[in-house]
Amino acid sequence: MLIKLLKYDLKYMLKNMSVFYILSLFFAITTRLLSLPEQTIMLDILGKISSGCVIAMIANIVINTMMRSWIRFKESLYKDESYLTHTLPVTKSDIYNSKFIQTLIFFLIGFAVVLLSLFTAYYTPDAWTTIKEYIRTITIGFNMSTTFFVSIAVIVIFLELFNAIQCGFLGIIQGYKRNSGKVGFSVLYGFIIYLVAQTLVLGLVFAYGLFDPTVMELFKTGTISIDVNAFKTLAIIASILYVVIILSMSVICKRVLRKGVNVE
Amino acid sequence: MEFLEIKNLSKKFDEKCVLNDINLNLSSGKIIGLLGKNGAGKTTLIKLINDLLTPTSGAIFVKGNKIGVETKKIISYLPERTYLNNQMKVKEIFRYFEDFYDDFDIQKAMRLLKDLDLDENQSLSKMSKGMKEKVQLVLVLSREAELYILDEPLGGVDPATRDYILDTILSNFNENASVIISTHLIADIERILDEAVFIDKGRIVLQGDTDDLRRQENASIDEIFRRMFKC
Repeated sequence: MLIKLLKYDLKYMLKNMSVFYILSLFFAITTRLLSLPEQTIMLDILGKISSGCVIAMIANIVINTMMRSWIRFKESLYKDESYLTHTLPVTKSDIYNSKFIQTLIFFLIGFAVVLLSLFTAYYTPDAWTTIKEYIRTITIGFNMSTTFFVSIAVIVIFLELFNAIQCGFLGIIQGYKRNSGKVGFSVLYGFIIYLVAQTLVLGLVFAYGLFDPTVMELFKTGTISIDVNAFKTLAIIASILYVVIILSMSVICKRVLRKGVNVE
Repeated sequence: MEFLEIKNLSKKFDEKCVLNDINLNLSSGKIIGLLGKNGAGKTTLIKLINDLLTPTSGAIFVKGNKIGVETKKIISYLPERTYLNNQMKVKEIFRYFEDFYDDFDIQKAMRLLKDLDLDENQSLSKMSKGMKEKVQLVLVLSREAELYILDEPLGGVDPATRDYILDTILSNFNENASVIISTHLIADIERILDEAVFIDKGRIVLQGDTDDLRRQENASIDEIFRRMFKC
């Protein structure tokens, strides 16, 4: 049943997100075409506008993936559509897992579209060399490989965004347990849960710092100029903590849902 | 064993008690009218049976099972509001039901759809509220369920369609299935009811076989309702 639920959740998201993917790639191509040398002023201006649209679409993809995931979650579980969702012969865990996996998949698709758009619009051998040099400067400073640096940066950003989504889901579940002010309380609870999750990560990193002086330096100096090994450790610990927190929130969401819902 | 057993069921919203210690047993193969004024608790009771609300206390059993996946397989529910995703077409909704409900008969759905002059290729976003309600009715009646729960099925439709709906209910469910109908339009449904459950202020105030009730009260079910809930 999870596969069937997922199929319809993915269809819904694809219907709503595909327009942004297409527009992002379209503007990326027009930016590329309009950035050819020896252009007229008019084409140059159009190129700049198109470039702005690529950036806007990229931001749109990130924001829309988050917003659509929350809206879909709320509509499916608590609004009119919930009359269908909760009367399907499926478990509450399957309903939740479907939303969880759907969000994960669309973050990955969005990420791929963003990279493809950036590559199509702005790739030049010179630009690529500049980026590589910039990353190399950082990685030399931190004594780590480029692959490790890029991987860990992408993973931490991805987990941070996914953590925010999970906080939103849990916030909606808690907010809709109330009999009034459901939307307002969903936002409030989501924000509080996010703050608690971030504080928890920070607290656990601090606790680790008690045993690792290099990590503790971060808290003492208050700067990011920390020891090379501390940076690596910090990135790995933060990633692990995010995964644990995301999975814990997922378990909490499912437990609360299993106790029952009260739809309007 | 009764088909539907409700034991000491109560539901509160904050401090407001909407259902108060309800006990109800219903056997299979009957058409039961759930009758009461606005705000009496009919929809709350129906939503509890369909897992859309969580009881404050008490329990509900359908064929001995607590409300859950197993009961949802055998209950076909028509809510009083439209729940369909407007981005879908009618045929996509049919496929959706076919995917999730083993007892969904798509041929029957197509036949009922044609009877109601609806097009399977039409998008729900382009349909009126009444048309969407008809699509929902088709979906519900096209299942070979053991319990049909219809919450105000006649509310938003014209009198001609009302007759069609009642005839469809009578002719489309198997003899072992039960139907619970909640409505204010008692005169319209009286002819098809086997049992009536009167509910007021969250309590069951009268329940019984419709023929027995008519005999005891020397009045139609509609008249009993009007007398009981006279303002």
